[in-house]
Amino acid sequence: MQRIIATYIKEWHLMRRDLGGLALLFLMPVILIIIMALVQDGPFKDYKDHTFEAIFVNQDGGKVAASIRQGLLESKQFQLIETYDQKAIDFATTQKLIQKGTYQFAILIPDGISAEVVNSANLIANEMGRQMGLPASLPHRESREGMSVQLMFDPVCKPAFRLAITNVVEKFITKIQSDIVLERIAKLSQSAVADTGTFDIEKQLRSVGVKEISSQEKKMMVSKMNSVQHTVPAWAIFGMFFMIIIISDSIIGERLGGSWTRLKLIPGSFSDILIGKMLFYVLLGIIQFYLMLLVGIYVMPWVGLPSLQLGHSPLLLLIMVTCLSFCATTFGILIGSIFKTTNQALPVAAISVVILSAVGGVWVPVEVLPDSLRAVSLISPMRWGLQGINNLLLRECSWHDIVKPCVILLSGTMLTMFLSWMIEKKRMDQ
Amino acid sequence: MVHVQHLFKHYRNAEHPSVDDLSFTFDEGKIVGLLGPNGAGKTTTISILCGLIREYSGDVNVLGLNLKSNTEELKYKIGVVPQQIALYPELSCQENLMYYGKLYKLSGKVLAEKIDSLLRQFGLHEHANKQIRNFSGGMKRRANIIASLLNDPTLLILDEPTAGVDVQSRSMILSFLRSYNEQGHSIIYTSHLLDEAEALCHEVLIIDKGKKIIQGTPKAIIEGNDTPNLEALFLKLTGNKVRD
Repeated sequence: MQRIIATYIKEWHLMRRDLGGLALLFLMPVILIIIMALVQDGPFKDYKDHTFEAIFVNQDGGKVAASIRQGLLESKQFQLIETYDQKAIDFATTQKLIQKGTYQFAILIPDGISAEVVNSANLIANEMGRQMGLPASLPHRESREGMSVQLMFDPVCKPAFRLAITNVVEKFITKIQSDIVLERIAKLSQSAVADTGTFDIEKQLRSVGVKEISSQEKKMMVSKMNSVQHTVPAWAIFGMFFMIIIISDSIIGERLGGSWTRLKLIPGSFSDILIGKMLFYVLLGIIQFYLMLLVGIYVMPWVGLPSLQLGHSPLLLLIMVTCLSFCATTFGILIGSIFKTTNQALPVAAISVVILSAVGGVWVPVEVLPDSLRAVSLISPMRWGLQGINNLLLRECSWHDIVKPCVILLSGTMLTMFLSWMIEKKRMDQ
Repeated sequence: MVHVQHLFKHYRNAEHPSVDDLSFTFDEGKIVGLLGPNGAGKTTTISILCGLIREYSGDVNVLGLNLKSNTEELKYKIGVVPQQIALYPELSCQENLMYYGKLYKLSGKVLAEKIDSLLRQFGLHEHANKQIRNFSGGMKRRANIIASLLNDPTLLILDEPTAGVDVQSRSMILSFLRSYNEQGHSIIYTSHLLDEAEALCHEVLIIDKGKKIIQGTPKAIIEGNDTPNLEALFLKLTGNKVRD
């Protein structure tokens, strides 16, 4: 035990004097987490929280076009741009502005759209009235093909953004169309039956909607659907794996500097020294992770983001983070054992952290990765760490939901330690 | 003290064996110089003697212990001063020595007094709290030796302990080695400084290409080969060709 404690204290003295290492372990992840949470905040926000600048070209001038315009403005999701250089925007100007990237998209209401919508509504109402045996008939003509509200997008816009905007606009148009249909049906029924009483047809037609509900008893899911809740744990895990660089550098430095040789010449098990070293970095990893959580809780609100909400199982979280830290530490020891110089080890350590995070679900969820990468992700400790921590922080799961990730991480720890031991033994025997 | 029979070591991927059927005996209580040109096999032989290299053939007994079966026991009895400064540059001299002392399971007052005594002996007492990285070459060499003396070894093995140090530090180190030997400790040391070896050692063993060339007291082997000094004898036996 004395040898383990002595090694632990030695590592502490070395680390407190390594300002570069401390910055890499603590400052860089803090900056990274704040920036990534801000960057990823956009995609996480519901589109109703955004206000988009949209060119609005109204060539119709009718009731429907006015309703669309009114609906878009009232939704507060759109700031409609209708003039440019103090002139009304026409189709050619729209093309030019979108192509230049001045605005990301435009909504064009072609001439005749109002008449077409009203005509369609009258046709529907008449058909329904006919089936119900109502005598009244609203004016109508044959439908025109190809009438549609047009959307023009900046070529740079991502498909997900186009789809989201199209859906939002489509939703407004559908609502306006259904409002007109309802109004026509109501008009038809009123002309046939003198007293409809207090029965509200429109309300009844809208009686069934869509509503998101929580899968959890505590109903906290919706409140946790924010960038902070998803990005802080993910990037904290990423930051923890920065330790690989520090550990491999330390091991190679000791070996090249001769300290490793002296340590091997001292009687007693060399594993005491490795355990002391490992425990120091494991604790460092845990401290670093909790520091990142504190950043999520207290710093995120300062930059306009929601505060991180911790789950209801602090002990389980500590167990999960400890397993992850063990895995990160022993992976660093393995890299330090494999490579002979820091010039070889450091790029590999840095790149492997990026690769493990990419396939481990830190950048994008594992579920959206191709099948081949999803298979590769099984060997990424970040995947299992993130799964376990998400189980606790987002899904509010219990202890049996972190058993699998913990067992896999500890198995990885033992495997990497075994490989490191084999490599060191081989090196010594040579 | 050291009894080596038919020692052979061939590193993987090396063209020639580093130690090739080497046999020698060193008596207890002596300062013995293990000499040879670059690549002669000195460091490999020392690494085997101190248990650092475990894969070799031959029979090695050190301080009455068979090396293959008693490596751990032997480590308590020997001190090894590596060629490199095997200390943590970012730690102070005191922190380095405390750490290594604790690894020898020394602690408290005993360790503190031992460190204090050695630091005074090597003139580093006033620099105890200075980081090793800020030490001069000579100070580093002295601190490197102190770290190998914490377990009070019966046999001290030094690999080029005076390489790259100034005259004063060298003089201090050599004086210490003599006095340590006078206290009954045995010393094996390697060096390229043959005048130093001639003056310090009771006995020298010259090896080249892993093989024994000559062994004896400096005086006897110099006179026996009709050369003026050890350096001339060394060149006569190992040739003038520059080694890589």
